[in-house]
Amino acid sequence: MAKLVPKRKLRSQGPPSPIVKENAVPEDEGSIPEVILAADESDSDPEISTDGEESGEDDDGESMDDKEEDGEELGSDDEEDGDSQGSEYSSGDEGDESSGDDEAIDEEARNYVLDVMKDYLGSAGPRDVEEAVEHEDQGNGAGEANGQSGNPTTAEESDSSEDEVPDRNTIGDVPLEWYKNEDHIGYTKDGLKINKQAKRDQLDTFLSRTDDPNEWMKVYDEYNDEEVELTKDEINMIRRLRQGKIPHADVNPYEPYVDWFEYEDKGHPLSSAPEPKRRFIPSKWEAKKVVKLVRAIRKGWIKLDKPKEKSEFYLMWGDDLKTSDKGANGLAYIPAPKPKLPGHEESYNPPIEYIPTAEEIKSYDAMYEEDRPKFIPKSFPSLRQVPAYPNYIKEIFERCLDLYLCPRQKKDRKVFDPEMLIPKLPKPKDLQPYPSMCYMEYRGHGAAVTSMSVDSSGEWLATGSLDGTVRLWDVQSGRCRKAWDFGVKVNHVQWNPNPQINILGVAVDKDVVLLPTELGGEEVTGNVAALLALKNQDVSEKDPESSPLATWSMDSKFKSLKLRQPFVVQSLAWHHKGDYFATVAPDGNTKSVLVHQLTKQMSQNPFRKHHGRVVQVLFHPQRPFLFVATKMHVRVYNLAKQQLSKKLMTGLNEISSMAIHSGGDNLILGSQESKMVWFDMDLSTKPYKAFKNHTKDIRAVAFHKTYPLFASCSDDGTTSVFHGMVYSDLLQNPLLVPLKILTGHETVNHKGVMDCLFHPKQPWLFTSGADSLVRLYCN
Amino acid sequence: MTRATKHKSKSKQYLAPKQRKEGNAAKYITRNKALNRLQIKLPEFRRLCILKGIHPREPKKKVEGHNKTYYHVKDIAFLAHEPLLNRSRELKAYEKKIVKARAKRNFDLVERLLGRKPEWNLNHLVKERYPSFVDALRDLDDPLTILHLFAWLPADNSQKIRPEHIESARKLSLQWQAYCIRVRALRKVFVSVKGVYYQAEVGGQNITWLTPHCTSQVLPSDVDFRVMLTFLEFYKTLVGFVNFKLYHELGLRYPPILDDKLEKAANELYGLMKGLASAAPVIEDTPKTDGGDNDTEMAEEDPRAVESQARLASLHSRLLAIDTEQESPVLNTEATKEPEDEDLDPSVNIFKGSKFFLGREVPREALLFVIRSFGGTVSWDGEGAPFPESDEFITHQIVDRPTQGHKFLSREYVQPQWIFDSVNNKFLLPTDAYLVGKICPPHLSPFVDAEAEGYMPEYAETIKRMQAATSDDLPIFEKPDDANAATETSKTDVNVKLEKSFTQDLSKEIAGISYSASLKRKAETAPEEDDQKSDAAPAVVPEADEAVRMGRMMMTRKARGLYDAAKMGQAKKAAKIELLKERKKKAKVEAKGNK
Repeated sequence: MAKLVPKRKLRSQGPPSPIVKENAVPEDEGSIPEVILAADESDSDPEISTDGEESGEDDDGESMDDKEEDGEELGSDDEEDGDSQGSEYSSGDEGDESSGDDEAIDEEARNYVLDVMKDYLGSAGPRDVEEAVEHEDQGNGAGEANGQSGNPTTAEESDSSEDEVPDRNTIGDVPLEWYKNEDHIGYTKDGLKINKQAKRDQLDTFLSRTDDPNEWMKVYDEYNDEEVELTKDEINMIRRLRQGKIPHADVNPYEPYVDWFEYEDKGHPLSSAPEPKRRFIPSKWEAKKVVKLVRAIRKGWIKLDKPKEKSEFYLMWGDDLKTSDKGANGLAYIPAPKPKLPGHEESYNPPIEYIPTAEEIKSYDAMYEEDRPKFIPKSFPSLRQVPAYPNYIKEIFERCLDLYLCPRQKKDRKVFDPEMLIPKLPKPKDLQPYPSMCYMEYRGHGAAVTSMSVDSSGEWLATGSLDGTVRLWDVQSGRCRKAWDFGVKVNHVQWNPNPQINILGVAVDKDVVLLPTELGGEEVTGNVAALLALKNQDVSEKDPESSPLATWSMDSKFKSLKLRQPFVVQSLAWHHKGDYFATVAPDGNTKSVLVHQLTKQMSQNPFRKHHGRVVQVLFHPQRPFLFVATKMHVRVYNLAKQQLSKKLMTGLNEISSMAIHSGGDNLILGSQESKMVWFDMDLSTKPYKAFKNHTKDIRAVAFHKTYPLFASCSDDGTTSVFHGMVYSDLLQNPLLVPLKILTGHETVNHKGVMDCLFHPKQPWLFTSGADSLVRLYCN
Repeated sequence: MTRATKHKSKSKQYLAPKQRKEGNAAKYITRNKALNRLQIKLPEFRRLCILKGIHPREPKKKVEGHNKTYYHVKDIAFLAHEPLLNRSRELKAYEKKIVKARAKRNFDLVERLLGRKPEWNLNHLVKERYPSFVDALRDLDDPLTILHLFAWLPADNSQKIRPEHIESARKLSLQWQAYCIRVRALRKVFVSVKGVYYQAEVGGQNITWLTPHCTSQVLPSDVDFRVMLTFLEFYKTLVGFVNFKLYHELGLRYPPILDDKLEKAANELYGLMKGLASAAPVIEDTPKTDGGDNDTEMAEEDPRAVESQARLASLHSRLLAIDTEQESPVLNTEATKEPEDEDLDPSVNIFKGSKFFLGREVPREALLFVIRSFGGTVSWDGEGAPFPESDEFITHQIVDRPTQGHKFLSREYVQPQWIFDSVNNKFLLPTDAYLVGKICPPHLSPFVDAEAEGYMPEYAETIKRMQAATSDDLPIFEKPDDANAATETSKTDVNVKLEKSFTQDLSKEIAGISYSASLKRKAETAPEEDDQKSDAAPAVVPEADEAVRMGRMMMTRKARGLYDAAKMGQAKKAAKIELLKERKKKAKVEAKGNK
């Protein structure tokens, strides 16, 4: 549409704004968005005009302003001008495009102007509105008249409107549409119609563009129906706007800001309310506070001067030297043990013998971490070469840890001589006689001698050995009087204690052989022969179903009585009267202990059951009691009452042997854990005394019949002899003193001394060893 | 389990097993339980335990398990009533407040808060743990060792070792040393590979402490310095109070004033001693015997003024001293010494009248301390030295290098070990073996009891002989060196033998036996005697052995175990001595081979 409008030249310099202004009607805020629209549509002149006009008013009212203020205002004015101009210009622009004009520069410039205008209008809107409001407040005239009246002043004051030409058209702010179908566009001052100019066709436009180089600078003014040519300054202004600069080159936007109001002293917000009375009278509460403070200061509650620096330390302890064992917490104070003081080896230059050799140091590497010495002494030739000790801090730190982490305990550590621990014993010399020296050796057996027995007279010694022989020795001369060869290893030999019945009981394999020794007088031999004659041969025939406990038979080879049992017999024990004897076959379970009567040649099993594997049995030397030693306990049975009388708690695990004192109240036990225990059966069923006198299994223990002596022999090859005095006074405990440790036997296959035995009358001791020797020790 | 009990309680009233009210279960609690009871975390608990001196205890019956730490309930109750427990909570809250105020940029409040810091000191703990002074002295070993360690440590921010810690540790240790010098308390010195051990006798107590060699220490990574610093905190307080008491007993002002100039020249000890010497009379004018109150008042006098005055005085005296030094050095040395020299035990005054000069390369601090503790006068190569190297009256110069360039004929050039060995043996050893460039005889520990040890190094024996000789006032000790001494002893041995034979002869003469006859007899009896001895020896041993074996039989099991353990210990000791002897023998052989 705009293209068709004939152009009219504007007068030089006159920015388009004033032109617009004339038509403008002042409006309020609501107009702004419309302004933007108008810019787009390019028919918005009236709206746009608002700003320009108001600014003019502003200037008017605030003539007393500072320069800066002024400048700003002016700047804003200019901007407005640019706007309106742009809007005008845009129409021309399009026309250009359509004609397809020559110079690229021109086109650029045009586009650019258009853009600027659009941008600027968008951004400048709100401010204009504000100003408009202000303007209304001042109340300088109202409505449309305002716009008109403001005009001349604006023209006078602002530089842009200085050489302003008044509009040709006087229709005022009416839509131009109303004149669309008329031939005129409005009226002059004089009321004459202004006729529309003939519309140029495209050809004309093109021609004029090609003819006139300044054609691009022209803008069509629809209101006045004329083309206005922009000046160079105006173009520049637009360009500056486009660059986002202030349109006038000589304006400094960064002038220091001077505030209109002086806020500092006045207080803000300002109020014209009268001062209240309380501001003039002294405060009661303050007075109270002051009184309080004054009092506090007077009484020294408040100290105005800084507190004096108290000295850090003072005299904490008086002169008293009292120390208490208890700490403040009521517990005994346990001081930390002091660190060990250094010895020679820690010296920087220790004696040469304290420095380990290279090999020794190497050997430390093979040690366990714990065993390895933590500190290896080293020598330095002079003090200046001693380096820092790398573990210094670490060691002190560890000490610190010890101080607070280690539980402390008070322990009385006495420095004592270990010899002090050895109990003071009566001297063995005072307790003589006792066997101390090896008097004789009985050689002849080919294997370990397992068992020995001396006859009641003490002249003869019988020994049984693993080589299968039983030998009879003359004690005094050491001559072997007789030898019986059984071919099987002999487990046990035992003389009948009755001198009238001179029989030797021998346990061989499953047999018990009662040998006539043919010692003593005629009478005795006869007696023995009579005893050993088989009496009731028909026992088995009588009662064939019931298997006998043992079968009695004659052995023609040795003219002896043989007693066969179902199990291997390990030992036998004679009753002191010599009529009864008991045998032990440990594998026999319920039949392991059998009691046999020699005169009647009868056997019986007194026990229904055993508590453990029976090791040995013994008859009480005077009374009808039987001692049965199982592995861990010894049971004492009363034979007369046929009941258990006592159970001795031995505390041993493997009883190996047992011996009873001639008085019958004291018992010793040897065990395989190399312990020997003494029981005083009047006192308790627990051991009176335990000895750990050997290093290996105890094989046998023995009491002397008359002398206060007892002995034990062990696999470690030693025999220890003790003094064991039993007092008839029941209140006095037995006196037990070790006397002598006898050595001499060699250990063979981990077996040492197999048996020991006291001479019935002399303080002599027989020992038999695994080295097939029998030794006699005398006092 | 709990389910089961619940179920039970439904059906039938179930009574939980009673909590024990007596015995170990009630007396001891585990650490974790203690933490719960005190409502603190482990680090705080550890800190409190260190400060209060509370340690775990070993109950006879460990009810809660064997691998646990047990504390006595009384100990824990004692901790629970400790004011520091609350104080530390207050401090924590206070610090939080400051941090908050700072974050809000409320610097006014920060300033106000900083002025209101809750008081934190351990004074009451010192009194509580050591009710009497002797108790404190008895436990002084560890504190001194740690203070001396920290005095040598570098400040380290990452480990929170602050320069203040080090400074105060240094100050306290120097004050302690100054006191030891002043009262001549030092008894023994031992230079070990680890450091230097000192033993002083204060208040009838032997106090031993260890100082590191004066080389820079590297902080190991596996050491928790928080623990060490907690110990340091307490020990600083303890040693401070002990020092105060000690100085107070002497009538000296505490803290003493350091001589600024000398401090800068890193001769703090000397500086301190100067301060002591000059400050002493000032205080001694005031009545000494007054109670603690008076003293604290005295200390409360404006300390700055006093200090500055005293500093001025010390500086003045120092200047004077320097002046007089130039005029008459002998006089000056006497002036710096303490007045009560005369009534001192000669053994702690062995360096009296000797004048020492320390070379650059010797450990100055240790030697200054030792020499001055034994009455010597010292100077050194460096700033602030009381007299120069060219002083004619210097008797000994301590050097530690193979050769000495310029030598003054009037003095002896000895290695530092001579000082330490002389001090330990309480008399001036002959310097021959310690001269410059020589390899010193071994440096022996003075803490070893030769009899208990069962072995005496050769040099110890030599020294013993020398000591005996000096006590007899024989002039031998002037010349002997190692070899001489040995020949000396052999001579005396010969003398003794001769004397013996002489008396024997005399007795024979009296008995009327002719000399020739007696000779014959001797020839006969001598081998016989030998035979008897050789026979008897093995015969006797088994008898004794048998007696022991038999005695062993009669011992109870406990006694037997004890006996065996003791015997084992003896055997170990014997083996050690045997090893030493063997090594010695080998070394001798080698030395001969080298020759």
